[in-house]
Amino acid sequence: MIRRNLKQWKNIAIEAPNQSFLVAKLLCFLHLTNKYLCTAALTYGPSMLPTLNLTGDLVLAERISPRIGKVAPGDIVLVQSPVNPRKVVTKRVMGMEGDSVTYVVDPKNSDESDTIVVPKGHIWIEGDNIHDSNDSRKFGAFPYGLLQA
Amino acid sequence: MLPTLNLTGDLVLAERISPRIGKVAPGDIVLVQSPVNPRKVVTKRVMGMEGDSVTYVVDPKNSDESDTIVVPKGHIWIEGDNIHDSNDSRKFGAFPYGLLQA
Repeated sequence: MIRRNLKQWKNIAIEAPNQSFLVAKLLCFLHLTNKYLCTAALTYGPSMLPTLNLTGDLVLAERISPRIGKVAPGDIVLVQSPVNPRKVVTKRVMGMEGDSVTYVVDPKNSDESDTIVVPKGHIWIEGDNIHDSNDSRKFGAFPYGLLQA
Repeated sequence: MLPTLNLTGDLVLAERISPRIGKVAPGDIVLVQSPVNPRKVVTKRVMGMEGDSVTYVVDPKNSDESDTIVVPKGHIWIEGDNIHDSNDSRKFGAFPYGLLQA
């Protein structure tokens, strides 16, 4: 009986490395896809109403376009927050470098609008709900390098 | 980054764990993405983290005038070791922490 148990353990010992390599390969593939191809994100907050929900929306974001420079005004992008580097926010691109962007400075209090030229290597982003959005109107133009997807 | 790094090129090994866990401190040499050209990575030294008061010489070639600034939240202040010939935070302002590469 001890011999049979030993034999079972031996079979498991032979199978285990192969299965582990398979799992490791799967994790590598998932990591590469998540980092370089497309990723999922849970967005929440009022800054992109009515496009995105207040209580949360699951979005799929592709990661290839920022790398090849195919980001244009009108695109919704994920960017790293300049205030909290661990936080990723979702906003819409309003202007690329060199563009002249006209924006409403403080929609709650006045109708005053301002025009600014987006500096080189930066983008101007705004939330769809400008009444409740921390974006380029507050922080200034975001460096292009902060684009996540 | 003279005299620390060569003019004609130095091969450096940079570890990528510290920026992720937040262990970056003044005095460290870091790789950052350039805010002007997102495909370019530059090497500079960290002079101040968020909340620090940084005193820097504005234009060493022309005057001795120095200025003090508080580094905003989520940003870092970087300068090259060779301040006479360096495009860094004195020119571009504080860099967002998210641009740190290594």
